[in-house]
Amino acid sequence: MIGPSFPAVLGAAQGGDEQAFAVLWRDLQPAVLRYLRVAAPAAAEDLAADTWISVIRGLARFRGNERDFRAWVFTVARHRAMDWRRQAARRPGLSLPVELLAERPAPDDPAEAVLEAQSTRAALALLAELPADQAEVVALRVLGGLGVAEVARITGKRPGAVRVLAHRGLRRLARRLEAAGLARGVTR
Amino acid sequence: MSDGDGLAVDMHRLLGFLEAAPPVADQDTLERLLAGRLDPADAPAGHAGLAKFLAAATAPGSPEEWAGEQLAMAEFAAVVQSPPPTLVPRRATMLSKLASVKAAAAVLAAVLSVGGVAAAATGLLPGQAEHAADRIPSTTGAGAAGHGLGQAAVVDLGAAAKQGLCRAWQAGQGANLGRRADSPAFRALAVAAGGADNVAAYCADVAAGGTADGQGQADATGPDAMAAARAGLCQAWQSGQSTDHGRRADSVAFQALAAAAGGDDKIDAFCRDTTAGSAGVHGQGPGSSPTTVPPPSTTVSPPSSGPPASTGPGGHGQGGPPTTTG
Repeated sequence: MIGPSFPAVLGAAQGGDEQAFAVLWRDLQPAVLRYLRVAAPAAAEDLAADTWISVIRGLARFRGNERDFRAWVFTVARHRAMDWRRQAARRPGLSLPVELLAERPAPDDPAEAVLEAQSTRAALALLAELPADQAEVVALRVLGGLGVAEVARITGKRPGAVRVLAHRGLRRLARRLEAAGLARGVTR
Repeated sequence: MSDGDGLAVDMHRLLGFLEAAPPVADQDTLERLLAGRLDPADAPAGHAGLAKFLAAATAPGSPEEWAGEQLAMAEFAAVVQSPPPTLVPRRATMLSKLASVKAAAAVLAAVLSVGGVAAAATGLLPGQAEHAADRIPSTTGAGAAGHGLGQAAVVDLGAAAKQGLCRAWQAGQGANLGRRADSPAFRALAVAAGGADNVAAYCADVAAGGTADGQGQADATGPDAMAAARAGLCQAWQSGQSTDHGRRADSVAFQALAAAAGGDDKIDAFCRDTTAGSAGVHGQGPGSSPTTVPPPSTTVSPPSSGPPASTGPGGHGQGGPPTTTG
């Protein structure tokens, strides 16, 4: 989060100031990339770049505060991920498994990697194991730093449904991690 | 719901920790965890793993995640300096339009002509500039232009830029054309060609007219601006190597890098030379971008008209055209 200086930074970026845009980009890029690693793992980098292209083009017309800005950026990222998933589903030869294998050399349990090394990539892989609707809501809330109302607007769900999905997702993650922790305790 | 949760907590107390399931945190606790308002250290018993998960997921950004900065900044510069026709405010004067087209051409040349092709494209893209050409004496030359380039390139820098763009366009035709045609660089090409439909014909003309061989030109030593652009691309290349090497090599900018290096497999060596050659440029980390070193003179000014902070991004949530390819 950029905080109180956000309006000034945004204004300068909208005026074409590269340094100001760099501040926006550096602040949000890790979160956007992580969200996309959950939503579209095999194309996260490309989709993040595409997301920023759209954001750059719409920047001059954007009006709102930092929360609105984050919500907008994640709205765009989600559209990119959904487009990609639609196309991937239609693609006959599906290059996806190969790329996934290339990106994950070791078949280690991500839960273990989270517990032992607090690995960010492992946390994202673990998140991606959740049912898709739970994963999406938890990712938007935790990674995107968005509130219930914003996530509801972005996903087109009711706030109550967003809450329930997020809680279920977190509980499932908690169980998964505790089980891994216990297994670890037993084997050592 | 909360009744059920309470019951589960009681049950868990009775069963002890032998059961894998942790005690069920209440909804308020979950909400605070989700919102990052609860220190993971204060998470309820049985949630240590979840706390570690949240800490890992929200850890500060890493250099690997900022690897795309150079490219994002290039996109920003290109878009800011050449707003598409629909975005140009109606009251923009011809003069300012002309200036932005020139600036965009310079940026394009910097990004795409790694290695010195089309150094500092002072040439205007045809089609846009012709109206105003008589008003503006053709100056604005980056003095260093033509440094080490062939005579022909000095005479017509615009042509070199055109060739670079056309080569990249033709190379990309088979695969991902949809997404690529979307980029500012190719939009500029479309503008120059007089429409996206005309690009193929336009590039065929360019290829027929210019006999200069791209590889040969790439060997020439460009002026410093080119060295900086090259260093930036090389840095981005090197930082991306471990992970998504293949996919990145696909991008327009890296294609240009490959062209400058004389082939995909020569990029490594080429970049080693580049980074070794420019001593101070080999900066680590996301913050130090060798291409942009303006002083922090930004007189940061809030949006002038200060419109009311309307909630939500409204209309431009979609951002960009619908991508229906196929």
